[in-house]
Amino acid sequence: MIQNSPDTVIVGAGAAGLALAARLAQAGESVVVLEAGAQRSTSDMISSQIWARKLKWSAAAVEESGTHPVGHAFNAGSGTGGSAAHHYGVWLRLHQEDFSVQRDHNRSLDWPITYQDLKPYYDRVQDAIGISGDHVAEVWRPPGAPYPMPPLPVFAQGRILDRGFQATGRRTAPLPLAINSVPRNGRAPCQFDGWCDAGCPIGALANPLVTSLPKALSAGADIRYDAQVIRVLRDSNRANHIRAVEYAQHGKRHQLVAKRFIIAAFTVQTSRILLNSSLNKQPAPGNRYDQLGRYLTTHPAGTIFGLFDDETTPHLGVSGGQLLCHDDYANKGQTGGFGSSQWLIANAIKPHDLLGYGTSRPDVIGGELRPWLQRAAKHLANMTLVVEDISSPDNRVTLSEVRDDAGMPKAHTHHDIAPEVANRWQQRIDEGEEIFRAAGATEVWHGPRVAMHIMGGTVMGDDEKKSVTDTFGRVHDTDNLYVSGPSLFPSSGAVNPTFTLTALAERQGDHLLGTPVNDALHA
Amino acid sequence: MTAGHNRRDVITGGAAALGLFLIGGNQVWATPSQAAARNFTPQILTQSQSQALSTLAEHLVPGSAKGGVSAYVDTQLKAGPNSLLMAKYVGVPVEQQKGFYLSALDAVASAISDKPVAAVAEAMASDTVPGWQGPPASYVFFLLRADALDVTYGSQAGFSDLDIPYSAHIRPETAW
Repeated sequence: MIQNSPDTVIVGAGAAGLALAARLAQAGESVVVLEAGAQRSTSDMISSQIWARKLKWSAAAVEESGTHPVGHAFNAGSGTGGSAAHHYGVWLRLHQEDFSVQRDHNRSLDWPITYQDLKPYYDRVQDAIGISGDHVAEVWRPPGAPYPMPPLPVFAQGRILDRGFQATGRRTAPLPLAINSVPRNGRAPCQFDGWCDAGCPIGALANPLVTSLPKALSAGADIRYDAQVIRVLRDSNRANHIRAVEYAQHGKRHQLVAKRFIIAAFTVQTSRILLNSSLNKQPAPGNRYDQLGRYLTTHPAGTIFGLFDDETTPHLGVSGGQLLCHDDYANKGQTGGFGSSQWLIANAIKPHDLLGYGTSRPDVIGGELRPWLQRAAKHLANMTLVVEDISSPDNRVTLSEVRDDAGMPKAHTHHDIAPEVANRWQQRIDEGEEIFRAAGATEVWHGPRVAMHIMGGTVMGDDEKKSVTDTFGRVHDTDNLYVSGPSLFPSSGAVNPTFTLTALAERQGDHLLGTPVNDALHA
Repeated sequence: MTAGHNRRDVITGGAAALGLFLIGGNQVWATPSQAAARNFTPQILTQSQSQALSTLAEHLVPGSAKGGVSAYVDTQLKAGPNSLLMAKYVGVPVEQQKGFYLSALDAVASAISDKPVAAVAEAMASDTVPGWQGPPASYVFFLLRADALDVTYGSQAGFSDLDIPYSAHIRPETAW
C-alpha cells in the first residue's frame, strides 16, 4: 500500500538507494524512491556506445573547476540504476590500510570504522550479488570469504599483457567482477561482448536493474521518476528533525512527508540537495561546522595502449578488464609520489567513443586511419591505471549562482590534484609503458589523466567538526536524515567504489532496522 | 532478465537513430547517411557550417561525409537536452552544445575558405590557426574527429568494415 507519508523516502534510484529500498521494503516498511531521471528497464539497453550516453548524467550541468575536475557528466548516471547502470562491475574491497591514511601517513582522513567492521558486509553482499574471481590468486586481497563464482576467462589480450607483468617481476590475478561467470540466482552468464558501458540487458552484470530493483518492487517500494528533489525541510518544532522533502515533477512542486529520509543521489547531487536545504539563516543539515561538500575526491586514472604483432582480440571480454595487479597498492608512501594504485588489465574496447582506441590517437587521420584501425582491431591491448586521491577540505561541492530549469541552484565542484598524487600517476604511467614493452608491444602510448569515480562531500566521521554524518550515515545534527553512497567515503583508496558503497548500505540497513550483524561474523 | 534470455540479439531494440530531416522542402524520417545522400537542408547549422563540418570531417575520417556527419551533428543539436554527442561528457554540456558547435564551425569555415583543409587541420591540432576565433582549435579538432568516428565506425557497418563482430545483446534498429 503506497502512502502519502511513507516510513522512508529515498532520494536516488542508484546502487545505494535501491539496495536500501529493497532492504527496508522487505522488512515491511513503506518506501518511496524519488529519482530525478527516467525509468529504464534492461530491454532499453541498446548495444551501442552512442546510445550508452543516455545513461550518463543528463540533467543540469555541474560547473567544474580546479586542476583535476571530477568529470561529473561522464561519471554520474541518470535514471533507473543511476551511475551503476553503466558501471563495469569491478567489485574490489578497500584494503585495511585504506581506513587509516591520516593516522599512518598524515594525509587525507581516517574512516571512523575499520576493515573488520565492514568485512562481514562485504561477505554478505558478495554472496547475495555474486562475484566471479579467484581469492587465492589475488594475494593482496584483505581477509574475506572466497568468491562464490569462478573467474571469467582470460582472452588473448590478457595473456599477452600478463607476459609484461611477469617479465617485470609483477603478479596478476583474475579481476574480481560482479558479473556472472556461470548461471547464478536466475541470472545469465557473461557473453564477453564488451557492452558493459551500455548497460547489460542479459543481466550478467550486477547492475541494480537485475539485483535490488526487482526486490524493491516486489516488496512494494514505490519508485517515482522525473522527480527532482530540491531540498529537505526541517520540522518547525524540532530543528533536528526533517519533516519532508520538496521535489519538482512535471513542472510542479510537491512535498512528501515521511518518518525518515535517505539521500542517495550520488556524490555531487547529494551535497547539492543538502546545501540547498539551508533556510532562514539556519545552516544546512550537517553543515554547522562548514563541512558539507568538502573532501570531494576522484580517482586520477589513465590508460596505456599498445600494438602487438600477436593477435589480441581486444573486443573480447568485459569493459572492466580481465586481470588485476595490486603489487604496489599497500605501499602508499613509496618514493615518487603518494598513494595506492592498481592496474585493471585488458579491458574490452571499441574503436570509437571517449575510451575507444580510435579516439586515443587524434594524430592518425586521413588515409592512414582505416588501415590503422583495422590493425588495432586485431592487435591492440590496453590497461587502466587507478590512483588514490588525497582528501582535501578545499576540494568541495558548492552551490552556483546559476539556477536550473526547476529553479534550484546548480552544483559547482572544485577539485585540485595534489602534486604528490599527480607524481604518483605519472610514475605509474611510465611503469605501465615499460610493462607493455616487456610484453612485446611494438608501439606504446598513453591517454590523458582523467577522473574516474566521485566520492566524498558528506563524509562519515566521529567528530561533527570534521565530518557530516556518523558512522551509519546519519547526518550529525538530525535524528532522521541519512546519506548513502560514495559521498560517505572519508578517503578514496584506489579501488572502484561500488562494492564498498553497497556494503556500507547493507550496514546502514542493519542499523536502520535495528538488527546489527551477527557478532560471529566479525570473527 | 532470466537465464532463458541470455542470447545475443534476442530483443528488438528501439535505439532510433532516425531523425526528422528537411529534404526537398519536406520533413522526412531518415538516417544521417540517408539525409546526406538526399542533400538535406540543415536546421540548426547554416549551409556554410554544415559544409565546413563535412569537409573537415572527411579529411580527418574518410567516409564520414557520406556517413552523414553533418546531418548527425545537426539532428543531435536539434535534440537539445537529449543530444547524444560525445561533447556532453568532455566539457560541453548539452545546454551549451549549440553555441559551441556554431562558433567552432564558423571558425572552421573561415579557416578553410582560404587555405587547404589539410593545412587547416594540421594547424588546428597545434592551435596555430591564424586569426582563429572560437573554442580552442585543438579541442574542436578532437571533438569533430570523435563525431566523425562515431558516424563512420560507431555502427554495425563500421564494425564490419574493421572486421570486428558487433555481437549486440540488443541490436540497434538502425545505425546506432
